This record gives sequence, C-alpha cells and structure tokens, in this order.
Amino acid sequence: MSVSQLVYALLFTLAMGFFAFSARRLVAFLRLGRPDPRLDDVGTRLRNLGLIGFAQTKILRERGAGISHALVFWGFLVVTVGTVEQMVQGFWPAFDLPHLLPSPLAFVFNLSQEIFSVGILVAVSWLIWRRTVATPKRLRGEGKGDPVHHGEAILILSIIATLMLSILVESSFELLTPGPDGGPREPLGQPIARWLSLFFVGSDPITVPTAHLVSRIGWWTHAVLVLVFLNLLPYSKHLHVLTSLINTFFSNTSGPGPVGAMKPMDLEAETDVYGASDVEHLSWKNLLDGYSCTECGRCTAACPANTTGKMLSPRKIVVNVRQRLLEKAPLLVPGADAARRGAAEQAAAGTVADAAAKVLGKKLLDDYITEEELWACTSCRACVYECPVSIDQLEVINELRRNLVLTESRFPEELMPAFEGLEQKGNPWSFAPADRGAWAEGMDIPTMAELQARGEKADVLFWVGCMGSFDERAKKITVAFARILKAADVRFAILGQEEACHGDPARRMGNEYLYQVLAKGAIEVLNGYEVKTIVTHCPHCFHQMGTEFPQFGGHYEVIHHSEYLERLLADGRVPLEQGGDKLVVAYHDSCYLGRYHEITEQPRAALKRALPVMTLVEPARTKSRGLCCGAGGGRMWMEEKDGKRINVERTEELLATGADTIAVACPFCMTMISDGVTAKSAATPVMDLSELVAARLREPTAAS
Amino acid sequence: MKIAVAIKRVPDMDTRFKIAPSGTAVDETGLKFDMSDFDGYAAEAALQINEKQGGGEITAISLGPDVVQETLRKALSMGLDKAVQLKADAVPFDGYAIAEALAAELKGGSYDLILFGRMAIDSSNQSVGPMVAELLGLPCISAVSQLDVSDGKTVKARRELEGAYEEVTCPLPAVVTIDEGVARPRYPSLKGIMAAKKKPLEVKPAQLGPVTATVAKMELPPERAAGRILGENADAVPELVRLLQTEAKVL
Repeated sequence: MSVSQLVYALLFTLAMGFFAFSARRLVAFLRLGRPDPRLDDVGTRLRNLGLIGFAQTKILRERGAGISHALVFWGFLVVTVGTVEQMVQGFWPAFDLPHLLPSPLAFVFNLSQEIFSVGILVAVSWLIWRRTVATPKRLRGEGKGDPVHHGEAILILSIIATLMLSILVESSFELLTPGPDGGPREPLGQPIARWLSLFFVGSDPITVPTAHLVSRIGWWTHAVLVLVFLNLLPYSKHLHVLTSLINTFFSNTSGPGPVGAMKPMDLEAETDVYGASDVEHLSWKNLLDGYSCTECGRCTAACPANTTGKMLSPRKIVVNVRQRLLEKAPLLVPGADAARRGAAEQAAAGTVADAAAKVLGKKLLDDYITEEELWACTSCRACVYECPVSIDQLEVINELRRNLVLTESRFPEELMPAFEGLEQKGNPWSFAPADRGAWAEGMDIPTMAELQARGEKADVLFWVGCMGSFDERAKKITVAFARILKAADVRFAILGQEEACHGDPARRMGNEYLYQVLAKGAIEVLNGYEVKTIVTHCPHCFHQMGTEFPQFGGHYEVIHHSEYLERLLADGRVPLEQGGDKLVVAYHDSCYLGRYHEITEQPRAALKRALPVMTLVEPARTKSRGLCCGAGGGRMWMEEKDGKRINVERTEELLATGADTIAVACPFCMTMISDGVTAKSAATPVMDLSELVAARLREPTAAS
Repeated sequence: MKIAVAIKRVPDMDTRFKIAPSGTAVDETGLKFDMSDFDGYAAEAALQINEKQGGGEITAISLGPDVVQETLRKALSMGLDKAVQLKADAVPFDGYAIAEALAAELKGGSYDLILFGRMAIDSSNQSVGPMVAELLGLPCISAVSQLDVSDGKTVKARRELEGAYEEVTCPLPAVVTIDEGVARPRYPSLKGIMAAKKKPLEVKPAQLGPVTATVAKMELPPERAAGRILGENADAVPELVRLLQTEAKVL
C-alpha cells in the first residue's frame, strides 16, 4: 500500500467517522420532537420527491435563481458519480470507471462530468455575484433576531467553485500524461479538458512530470475538499443539501392527505402544554424543516404581512426553530455533548445558575418568536406554497398560536368579542342567531327542518356562512346566489337558524377548543339531516367543511359556489340574457380557493361563460401567487396597525389593471377589497361572482 | 387572602325574550346562559388580588338548580380554586331569601373578603350583596370600580359618581360589590378548563330565607313603531324639523 493510499484512507475514515457523529447527533435532536407518522401514501410522497425534489418545480417558479439552482442541483447529481469514482481511486488508484464502461457510456460519463462541472461553475459564479453585489431583498434579513448567514453562503459557494475547478484541472492535465499503456492519452468525451490542455502543449510544452503533479494536486484538492464540504454541511445552513430531499419526501404540504388542513388536537390528553412554546412541543417534521431551510427567503418575499411592513417573516420562524433546537437539544440529548449535559443536570439540581440553566430557561415563543409576529399571519399559505423544499412554516405559526390561546390565554384583545360571539351566538360578531335566515324572507327558500317536516329532501344544502347571513354587503351575495340556484331549478335548502359557525376562525386563531365544540355541533346538525352535498359562497366554510370536518366524522361533498356556478353554466342550466356590457374584469383569487385548493380556473371560466363579451385582466400577482386580501387567519377581527394595510396594497394592484369591475369569490375578500377601493377614493365596483352572474339572469317573462 | 365570590347564572341579555306562559317569568327555551357580567368582574378582581399577594383561596358560590354548576365550572376555569352550589329548585325573586342562604354558607367560612357583582344583569336588584353584609354584620361598599386590599387589613375602594369619584375605606373582612372598570374578566384557557374539571365543587341544600316579594306580572315593552319616510329630497326637511320639534321633542 502506497503512502498516498494510506493518507487517503486515514482522511476518509476520519471524515466519515466525524460525519457519522454529526448525523447521529442531528437525528437524535429530531427525536426530541413529537411523533408525527409520515410514511402513509408513499406513492404521493415519491411523486413529490420527483417533481418538487428532482425536477425542481418549485425552485423554477423563479427564473434566474431557479435555473442557477437547478443547474447546480442536477450538476451535483451527475458530478457525484465522479466523486464516488474518486473515492474508490483513493483506496485503489488503478480504478478507472470509464475503462470499465462500454465506450459509448464512457463517452457519456466523461462528457457529463465536464459539462456539469462547467455548468455548476458558471451558475455558482453568478450566485456569488448575486449574493455579494446584487443582493435581492429576500436574501437580506429582518434585522435583529433574524440572522442571515451570508459568510457561510459565500464560503460554501466558493468551495463548490473550487471543487469544480479542481475536477477540470485534474482531467485536463491528466490528458498531458501518458496513458496506462505508456502511449499518449486519447480524450474521450472530454472536449473541455482537451481544449484547456491545448494551452500547455504549444511552443513551450509542459513536461510530463509537471503535468502529472498538477493533475494530482487537482485530484487531492477535490478529494480533500469533498470530505471537508461533507463535514461542514451539518454545521451550516447548507445542511439542506443533505436534508431537503428527505424533507420533501416527508412533507405533507403538497399532499398526501388534505392540503392546508390544520392538525387536530387531542383535547382530552393529560398535558400542561397545548400547542407549542418550545421546540420539543413541535413535531420532528417541524424540526426537520429547520434543518432543511437554506434561508432563500422566498417565503418571506411572498408573505403579505412581511411585504407590507409587519414583523412577521416566515423564514425567520423556520430559522428560529433551527437555532433554538441547536441551542437547547445538546442539553437534552444524552451523549450529544457530555460536558454541557453535566451542566444541565447541575442546573436542574439547582446548584449552579450557569449558562445551561439560562438556555433551558428560554423558550422558542417570546425569546425567539414574538406574539406580534404570530398574530400578523393571515394564513394565506403563500410561504408554504413557495417553499422549494416543502417546509410548513404555517404549522409552526399555528402551533405557537395554539399555545398562546390554549395554555396562556394570551391574544390581542380584539379577539375576545370574536371568541365570545362564536361561543355564545355561533357567529364572531354576536349577531342574534334568530336573524340568521332573515335574508331569505320572502324568497320562498325552505329550511332543512321544513323539508323534513314535509317528508321531502333537498339535493343540496346551501351553507350560507356567518358573513353571508349577517353582513349587509355579503347578504347581497347570498341573495344573488340563491336567485341563481332557483333560476337553475336546483332543489336546495338552507339550515336557517340551525346554522352556526363551524369554528374555522377560532381554529385559525389558535382556539382549538372552541373550534372543536363548534365543529362537532355543526357536524351533528348536518349528520342529523343526512346531508351529502353542500354548496357555499365562502371559501373558508368551503375549506373547513370539506377538508377539515372529516377529522371529526363529517364527510360531505362541499363545493364552492365558483365551481358550482361554473358547472351550472356549463350545463346550460342558468337562463341568461344575451349580450351584455363589455366589462373589463379583474378577478381577485381568494387564498383559500387558489392556494389551498388550486381553484383558479373555475371562477374565471364561470365569469367567461356568464359574461361572454367581458375582458378578463390579471393583476400583477395572481392565481397561486395571488396576494391575500388581509382577512385570513383571524386578521379579519384584528387591528392592522403596522405598515401598509394589506387590503390597500392588493386593491392598488387590482386597480392598476385598469379593470372597470373587480370580481371576488369570498365575502371576506369582498369586505377587504371594498374597503381598499374606498381608501383609494376609487369608484370601481367590487362584485362577487354570483352577483355578476345574477345580474345577467333572464327573469321569467310572465310572472304567474 | 381567603375570598368568596358570589356568582349568578343569567341568560344572554342580547336576545329577544318571550314571556313564559306563567306570565311572571321569561320563557327559557332556547336561551343561552352565562355568568352575570359584573360577577365576572368580581371573579377577575379576586384573581388579581391573590395573584398579586400570592397564595390565598377563592371560592365561587352560586345558588340555584344543577345547571349553575356549568357557570361555577367557568369560574373555576378562570382560575378560582373551589366552588359551592347552594342547591335550590329555582332562584327566587326576593333577594332577602337568597341573602339568608348565602349568609348561612359564608358565615362559617372565615373569609377576608366577599365579592359580589354590582347587580345581576337579569334581575337588576342590587340588593343581595348589601343584605348579606348586614346579615353577617360586615361593612359593605357597593359599586366599586377600583379595589385595593394590599395591606391585608383595609379595603380602599373607588366608586364612580356622576362626574366625580370617591374613595371609601373600611376594615376587612368586608363585603364589596363590583362595578365594571375593575378588570376585564380573563378568557379561560384550555389549561384552565381542564384544571377546572378536577377542582372541588361542593353541593349543599340552600337554606333560603322566607320569600315575601314575588313577581306578579311580567310584560315586554311595546313593539317599536316602524320608521316613517317623509320624502326623498330637500322638500322633506321642513316637515322633518317640525316633527323633530313637536313629536320627538329632540330639537
């Protein structure tokens, strides 16, 4: 065995040993999290891994950085084959992969290594320039408490660049040395190495020993740097290189299971902590999210709260989870760090008030993430949707909110009336429950109870929702939709006074207890009438009842009116007037339709069918990228004191389209955008889909 | 500090009431019930006193049928320590009958402070607290909007008057009835709700005093007349002004 083999074997063993230590440590930290089974529906998980992971679909939602990253990622996959070859060479210098392959494959192998090395080099150079010179806003932090690891990023990028350079140096100089048979080497699929080597064969050719030496330096640089790189990853934000594919596989943000559904809580469990106030109350998957974040900031750049000047930054939330875990976990995991563990025991025994006690005395909530940040969230899901590695920022926010409300009873005071109204009156504004069906007076719409008394059944239950039942503006939506249903001869009924909020706002505000009381109550009523199909014009009701009710035994087909209208119109069931005005309409996507359920085309299709001469225009941010109106996540009931109002920001975008009508498909969006239009002193009407359709209804000519 | 808080279960007042067939009470079908608002303030005031001073024990007391246990549990979920139900088939109108029952229970309890709401929001009698004080021979300050018992010996209370306030003191033990302004009642956390399930709730028969005052008749106020539209433009203004002066007498 040669000296170089010995040296390599030693380095390799040390590096792998240390890496194994680091990996075990990180896995042990994950185990501090709560259990969360993630091995169901492996098929969907593999599909996510393929699309979001390997095909980089989310990364590529942004052009420049997306293509650069994808190039580096795919390059890495290819170049890794060469790296493995090199590792084998470390132990067995004669190993030569291309030699073992049939020549076409050897050609492809060599060519792929070259092309991707150069590709990575170009992409990485651009990324370094972007980070140091261009520095887009999302790569800058939020200031205090939101560290952005610029130095680390540049170090890692530089290592990657050096790795690629060393590959090229090695192979190009190797071409100048004699082959195994003593004759000159024939380049095989190595145009770049060949071209580079030509610089050294001109009038003053480089000597064979020098070429050999330089090639070996290239080889060793790469071999050592790969091992260094591997061992740097577990201690840097570039841990995502190792964990993001795993994270994508285990994530539920694009399925399996209902997308956007909050986790049910077992309220009977014997515990002192509801929700999460520190890392060990989060699930292991939330903690893995922390490992997988590379601080790209796409979530924060898409966050309506952040971009309008609020404290919240979804990226910071995830980075804080990792920071806190890496701070606290060594004190809790046996053997992770023996010295500090001893200190923790001492601190627990109350003998020494030292650094460890200080660490244990802190919490993720308050010491890292403040209430103010948590309550700024509109639950619009833009952060989750944008994340290239399928991190669920929203789940952490929700778990912390639950802790604030359920354990500490700590929430903005404006929420108290909403909670009390929901509890006492079944609606968050404390309207009299007796007035719930008042909008339907004189419209000859039966209630489920009336139908049952007559021994009849409805095909469809029209769930009106609290906004639709009590809000003056939203009641017009309700009436318009009911008129369409009648005109289309749909056999439908309402619950009337028996309808009460399903609790979704309470759940989003962290009050799982109140939510479950309300949800179970609603399910009891619905099951009592054996309801199968529900249609509603509120996306929040639609999401809650269709997606989250199954958690408590409520299984219904729930259809949002945008989809239902589209079906009725497509089937020609809605009698409409011919012609009509040439409206220019901008449609505003509700988050709970667009991002939660990917319902973006149906509302537009409904508009086009009902208004054939209309021109549909799109705001700057639209469909899955649509900007929130600002009302979700319980924000409807909270003051918006900091920064610019989200609804004004959104309204400006909608007005900038030049539309003469703004269309919405959510009563909450209706309120927010209408207020925005008023704030901008504009006169553009804001109309619900159903109102635009109902305005075109052909009235029966002979009212008999 | 050992504190007792008397709590009444009352219907949600933001309801369109109906009169029961008896003609002397409201029809309770479909009504929602909760703790009387002022009793909530009293419970919160008690909690804050003991949180500030540390230690102590707060007992919630309610008189009525078993449904009042729900209201007592709510008080426990806010953080009160234990509860006593003085069981009676119904809550009589006569405050004296109630006061005797409460006094009988409170007498042996060696409480430092006994808190009531300023009044029950359904019956608006404002009488039970002061009567209990009288029966127990304790000083009483009513309708208190700020309360200080930090020295453990005296009550320093502030009472709101029309355009002024006064500070009233008396020695402990004492009975104090609480007005709004003391503190907003806290929202029970789930932790509190779960803890409340395990806190003691004692049920005793209410030793009601003699009932001498009873409700003879209850009636709803007359329906409000519908609004009138006088006209649609400036022509209607003189008539409007005339009616506001002569009929509504607001100008």
